[in-house]
Amino acid sequence: MKKTISIILTLFFFLLMKANAQTADKTSDGFALPQAGKVFSFPRDHGSHDDFKIEWWYITGHLFGDDGRRFGFQATFFRSAGAPANSTNANNPDFGADKLFLAHMALLDVKSGKFVHEQRLNRDGWDAFSATNGLNIRNGNWSLRMTDTNRETIDLRGPLDGETGFQLSLQPRKPLVVFGKNSVSRKAADPTASSYYLTFPRLQADGTVKFNSETSHVHGEAWMDHEISSSQLGTGEVGWDWCCLQFKDGREIMAYRMRRKDGSQDDFSTLAWVSTNGVVTQLPSAEFKMQTQRTWSSPLTGANYPISMKVQTRDPQSGLPVNFLLEPLAENQEITGGGNLAYWEGACRIRDDAGKEIGSAYLELTGYAGNLNKSLR
Amino acid sequence: MNELRPLATIGLLLRRFTLRHWRSAPRATALQIFILALGIAVFFSIRLANRATVSSFQNFAGLLTQQSDWQISAPAGELPVSVLGELRSALGDDAVEIIPVVETTASKPHTQREEMIGSRQSFHLLGLDLVAIQNLASASEADHGWFDQQSAGTNYAGGNQFWNLLRKKNAVFISQTMAEKANLKIGDAFPVVIDENVANLEVAGLIPTSPARPNPPEDLLMMDLPALQRLAHREGKLDRIEFIVADGADADARRGKLHDQLVALGKNRWTVFSPADRRASAATMTRAFRMNLTILSLVGLLVGLYLIFQSLDGAVVRRREEIGVLRSLGVTEKIIRRAWLLEAMLLGFFGGALGVLLGWGGAQFAVRFIGKTVNTLYYATTVNSARLDAGEFFIAIGLALAASLVAGWWPARQAAKIPPAQILSRHAENQERKSLLQSAPFALWLLATSGLLVLLPPLRFSGALRFPLGGYAAALGLIFGGGILCSQVLRQLAQMLRFAGNYSVAAKIATSHLRKTSSRHRLAAAGLLCAVTMAAGMIILVTSFETTMRGWIINTFQADLYISSDGAQSAATQNRISPTTWHAIVANPNLADANVMQSTAIEIGGISTMLVGVDLEFTRRHPNLSWQNPPRDEKIYHFAQNENLALASESFSERFRVRRGDKIKIPTPGGEKVLTIAGIFSDYGNERGSLVVERRHFAAWFSDELATSVIVMTRTNVSPENVQADLSAQFPGLSILTNRYLRSEILRIFRQTFSVTYALELIGIIVAVIGLGMTLSSILLDRRAELTTLRALGWQRREMAWATAIEGALLSTCGVAVAMIVSLGLGWILIYVINKQSFGWTLQFAIPWPQLAALGMLVIGAGTVVAYFVGRWGSGLAADREE
Repeated sequence: MKKTISIILTLFFFLLMKANAQTADKTSDGFALPQAGKVFSFPRDHGSHDDFKIEWWYITGHLFGDDGRRFGFQATFFRSAGAPANSTNANNPDFGADKLFLAHMALLDVKSGKFVHEQRLNRDGWDAFSATNGLNIRNGNWSLRMTDTNRETIDLRGPLDGETGFQLSLQPRKPLVVFGKNSVSRKAADPTASSYYLTFPRLQADGTVKFNSETSHVHGEAWMDHEISSSQLGTGEVGWDWCCLQFKDGREIMAYRMRRKDGSQDDFSTLAWVSTNGVVTQLPSAEFKMQTQRTWSSPLTGANYPISMKVQTRDPQSGLPVNFLLEPLAENQEITGGGNLAYWEGACRIRDDAGKEIGSAYLELTGYAGNLNKSLR
Repeated sequence: MNELRPLATIGLLLRRFTLRHWRSAPRATALQIFILALGIAVFFSIRLANRATVSSFQNFAGLLTQQSDWQISAPAGELPVSVLGELRSALGDDAVEIIPVVETTASKPHTQREEMIGSRQSFHLLGLDLVAIQNLASASEADHGWFDQQSAGTNYAGGNQFWNLLRKKNAVFISQTMAEKANLKIGDAFPVVIDENVANLEVAGLIPTSPARPNPPEDLLMMDLPALQRLAHREGKLDRIEFIVADGADADARRGKLHDQLVALGKNRWTVFSPADRRASAATMTRAFRMNLTILSLVGLLVGLYLIFQSLDGAVVRRREEIGVLRSLGVTEKIIRRAWLLEAMLLGFFGGALGVLLGWGGAQFAVRFIGKTVNTLYYATTVNSARLDAGEFFIAIGLALAASLVAGWWPARQAAKIPPAQILSRHAENQERKSLLQSAPFALWLLATSGLLVLLPPLRFSGALRFPLGGYAAALGLIFGGGILCSQVLRQLAQMLRFAGNYSVAAKIATSHLRKTSSRHRLAAAGLLCAVTMAAGMIILVTSFETTMRGWIINTFQADLYISSDGAQSAATQNRISPTTWHAIVANPNLADANVMQSTAIEIGGISTMLVGVDLEFTRRHPNLSWQNPPRDEKIYHFAQNENLALASESFSERFRVRRGDKIKIPTPGGEKVLTIAGIFSDYGNERGSLVVERRHFAAWFSDELATSVIVMTRTNVSPENVQADLSAQFPGLSILTNRYLRSEILRIFRQTFSVTYALELIGIIVAVIGLGMTLSSILLDRRAELTTLRALGWQRREMAWATAIEGALLSTCGVAVAMIVSLGLGWILIYVINKQSFGWTLQFAIPWPQLAALGMLVIGAGTVVAYFVGRWGSGLAADREE
């Protein structure tokens, strides 16, 4: 069974890897491609864009319990289309064969270092869907809904098993930002390998976390991405390192480094600063580095992950070079659902050069449990 | 003298006496063990076969996922898919997996127009959401998944195969066994009949297996749920929904909570049950059938008991001098009794062990017959082997030990009572104390009690199961009473035949022995009587049943053609005829009239039964119901007046204890309906009972027009065979049977259900005839001095054999004669008490004289032949031969 899941996961990752575009606005199989100058309209654009092949809503955050406990969480909802939405395939509304929904939930109890994660896969239908008129996604008993479109309040529910899970109310503390140039976030040399990249860089998170049947009332901060694409990444890459940093001074960084076969950083890697008032400053690949500080070997997959990284870049506010050390809150934060498509998605704290904790981060490391390209061929 | 230590003494006695006797008469000992083994073997094989058919009812979904905690299904009809969303919303973010399931059956298309019903290979089609079930991946790695088999090692990265598979209409996963047997590979297609269509299913791969789960059965075909819904014309409908609660420390509490939530949500729309409840409910369906088989399987053991009893009793008589010596040496009564009981137990142990071995082999045959019956009458099963079961093993061994102890108890008591003084009078008279077993008044008391026991109502258990305890007790009383009377008759018979001695010395000797019958004579006759009575009683039951069935078939099956889905090969079939097709059939210009039948299983008060919709007006135009209680007026036949009326089958009336005029509530998707029973009719085709209503009301209640069958009358100048040929050509997925053929098939199936019964009776008779031989050989051993004298007087071996043959013939004749009379009583009890109370069928009493005569002749003949050969063997016995 796990093998089957890995095959389906491959489908998702494949969509990220392979550019299939033939024209500027459509892929060869008829899916839409991001267009420059796109004007977003909300709440509709928080919802699903079924004319695109793949789309995901990604939320991570750091939670602090009234009882002194600390947690890290991740919730990702993927949508993947098997055929264009206007396909003539007769689709069953309850058991669809045109869309798949994959979701990952993970929860870290920092004190014990215990990391629980789960994966869910469902077809479009009675148990999984993504609304097209606003944010309303469900996958089994996991859900993500915008309950108040004026205040943009979001409700996230992720029960991992009978004893562990979370239920959070997320309230944006900063306005939504759009990464990329002129609404399009480029990922590779191929101009069609791109996405619409919408982000709430800082949300107030309140709710409850149940861990081993013990419930904690929690408060904290979260990060939410919504990315819409039909083909995102180019060939020749073996994986990527991505991170979001939330500083105590109210600013954020989003960075991704596309790793090539020879270990180099792809030119389309990006680092973006978000100012306290939500202004995005995007730096090119040449202006940042992610250097491995410490690695951890997974006993399950054997993958050797660089779980501690130093991000070296320039502070657009001061113009000075800065270094941020990402230090994991626990070593084992590996999501193993997909065999050699396993990845590490971990809660980290941020330290400056003086060793002072200056914020919280999430770090995503893919392509370490085997060459992604190889596993797809 | 030192005091004897009981254990050491018993051990010594076992070695020096019991085993010595066994060694000196190995064949006799082996025969005793064999007889007991045969009795146990029959019992054990039936138990194992029963167990195999019950366990073959499995939750197929559980084979592919994990066993669910709860399941829900509609008490009538199917569940709409719309309840899934409702359930997910109601359960909120509780950690519960919700698994919708669709199931149906299919079969291979027919190769000839009319063939044995149930003879074609059937398949069980299971529809699960192939994507969602992967969230239930078992902890252990499966050998392959659903979606990675089609790529066959080629580049899968395009992902098209995944989507293609998901969108394919006829993609099916098959078992490894089927793939090997039918030589099927991925991409191959094979035809099956589902409903009225012949569909070509394409092999998409093998059903994934895992070491943690049992292998899927050969006949299981797995499809993506929506594909199966489409194929079976059941879009938007589900058979059941299963629920799995996430594991964890408080899982039991969460399971309990889920159960309460489901019950509260369901109201009358669904019933909540566990997989164990479902298995139990299937087991309940066949419980009466299995119980009757188990009881029948004890016939051999019962007859064997008589024989072991008489054999041990004979040994006591033969060893009395030896026992007298032991008593003189200070061995107490208690020790003697225990030593005898131990000997009986040893017999029981060896007999039990051999019986289990033989029974396990026998079960492999029995299971096919029982499986066929269960398949035809109850639910789909393709079970064809029975597995050894530890529980059944210990029950069989325990029964063997208990039986041998019961048989050994009286002889042990007799042995213990032999006085030491006996040693001084070597030739003292063998005093046989008159016991209850020889008392004619006791026999009459038993018969009278039996007469009263038949008046007792059945015991009622859950699931409308009834157990005719009074009937069985009466049958036992009748057989025991008859056995005691038989010994009286034996003496009288010998007395009456005294004159025969004037013509033949052999006859004179034979009758003289019978005039002073020994306990062994009596027991042999009683054992024979027991076996013959049971066999004759069953022959009467089956003949009565068949006579009744024939009358019912002639009355009920009057239409020219009977049309159903060709995929319907078992009682559990869900194959139906679509409205388009049956409308086309009904519109055929060669038909004069037609009746469309719809049916569904429903639950009333947790008890499963059938609701059938027919054109009731048709049943008036063509009267085909055999009435137990006909309707009092014509309302039931008028559509405008019969919405709240129903006809009940006799079994239904018995199970639900309703009579004409009573009201009964039935569940329908639109809510409960209250129906008044307008009449009660005979129906020997369905033990669960059926409630018949007007089809158009049925269709409205269930929003469903799928027909189970259509019966048609052809125009007078049109040959049914021609219409059959036309319709078969037009609808290749339909089974269209002529009246003549269907009637013969029903009788064939009926006889098939009794095939095991006949086998059991035959074994009982074989045991009894062997027992007769054993009895005579034991008697000849007692008479070895007499035999020596006869030899000295110039008797030839042949003459001595004839004397024994006459003795055996008289014994058998007596046993058979009394058995025939007793069997009439037993037949009556079987028909009017046991059958009526177990199944609710009224049968017409019929006595098959020729068959009974043949049985009697066969047993007497066999008894005489066996006695002749025993006589030949006995004529050569040395005077000092011990046993």
